[in-house]
Amino acid sequence: MTVVSDVKQCLASLKGVEASLSNLAKRTEDNSSKRTLHETMMEVSEIVADLKKRVGELENEEYQYKGY
Amino acid sequence: MPEWLEVTVRSVLFVIVLFFMTKLIGKKQIAQLSFFEYVTGITIGSIAGESIMGLDGNLSYGLIAITIVAAIPLIAGLISLKSKKFRDFTEGKGTIFIKDGKVMEDNLKKERITADELLQLLRRKDVFQVSDVEFAVLEPTGDLSVMLKKENQPLTPKDLDMKVASIKEPQTVIMDGKILDEPLATIGYSRGWLKTELEKLGVTIENVFLGQVNSYGELTVDLFDDKLQVPSPQERPMILSTMKKCQADLELFALATEDKVAKQLYTKNSKKLQNAIDKVSHILKS
Repeated sequence: MTVVSDVKQCLASLKGVEASLSNLAKRTEDNSSKRTLHETMMEVSEIVADLKKRVGELENEEYQYKGY
Repeated sequence: MPEWLEVTVRSVLFVIVLFFMTKLIGKKQIAQLSFFEYVTGITIGSIAGESIMGLDGNLSYGLIAITIVAAIPLIAGLISLKSKKFRDFTEGKGTIFIKDGKVMEDNLKKERITADELLQLLRRKDVFQVSDVEFAVLEPTGDLSVMLKKENQPLTPKDLDMKVASIKEPQTVIMDGKILDEPLATIGYSRGWLKTELEKLGVTIENVFLGQVNSYGELTVDLFDDKLQVPSPQERPMILSTMKKCQADLELFALATEDKVAKQLYTKNSKKLQNAIDKVSHILKS
């Protein structure tokens, strides 16, 4: 089973998305687009937090995968 | 003074005078928007011509006449700013030619416009069928303004209930291989940032004919060397596709896991991400 590494990969991608969205929101000049991007960034960061928790649980369950 | 020299001096003098007069009256004079500007345009021109060639006449009379004629539209413009009645009188009102989709023949007659001329005016506005028109008015300037019936108007995103990202005007930051500092400062970037962006595209500043920054802070360039391929900005589509991929991954995890709590968590988050994608996709699509 490789679920932990899959979830970790997804988590990493989402973190990347979060950072890119925040970067884009900062650069965007149009205010409504800026707000939408920022809100989306917040939502993504909530998902990231959830996934992080899940990764922690999985690591406890499958101890040998820890550290990947 | 020999006559040829006098003509030369007068010509130069009047060109300068006319230039400043026209500047003073403003863009309205050049567009000849109203009756006044049209008339003064002609009059000033002929006075200047007369003064240049009329060697026996006094030069100052010409200058006085031009100043007066130029002052009239200026004063009339100031008064018409204040008074609607005066404005209607000097600049005229529009004449309605088509109303509720029907041609007003009486108004056509009043302006002495024939059916052929009406069709011609409509064609100039890319309208070939009178029945497509809901409303048309002949402006005091002689242009026909046409409002098409709703079903013949171009389709807009609003008609389709489509969400589109609002954008701001792009700024031109490179012209003829030179950095324009003022627009660059307006959008709050430095020369250093621009150099990094150019490096990312793999081009040198000398090779750039035009470079513009859009409201997302993305640099697009046109090169002197048209054989060179420049990549288009990929960041926004990239974010969108990564989000879509992650959303699919989360759904997959939800299907794969046997733990009920985890399944719920994955499902909840995949839905959340889908909502986020829906919300932001109109901005990220380029």
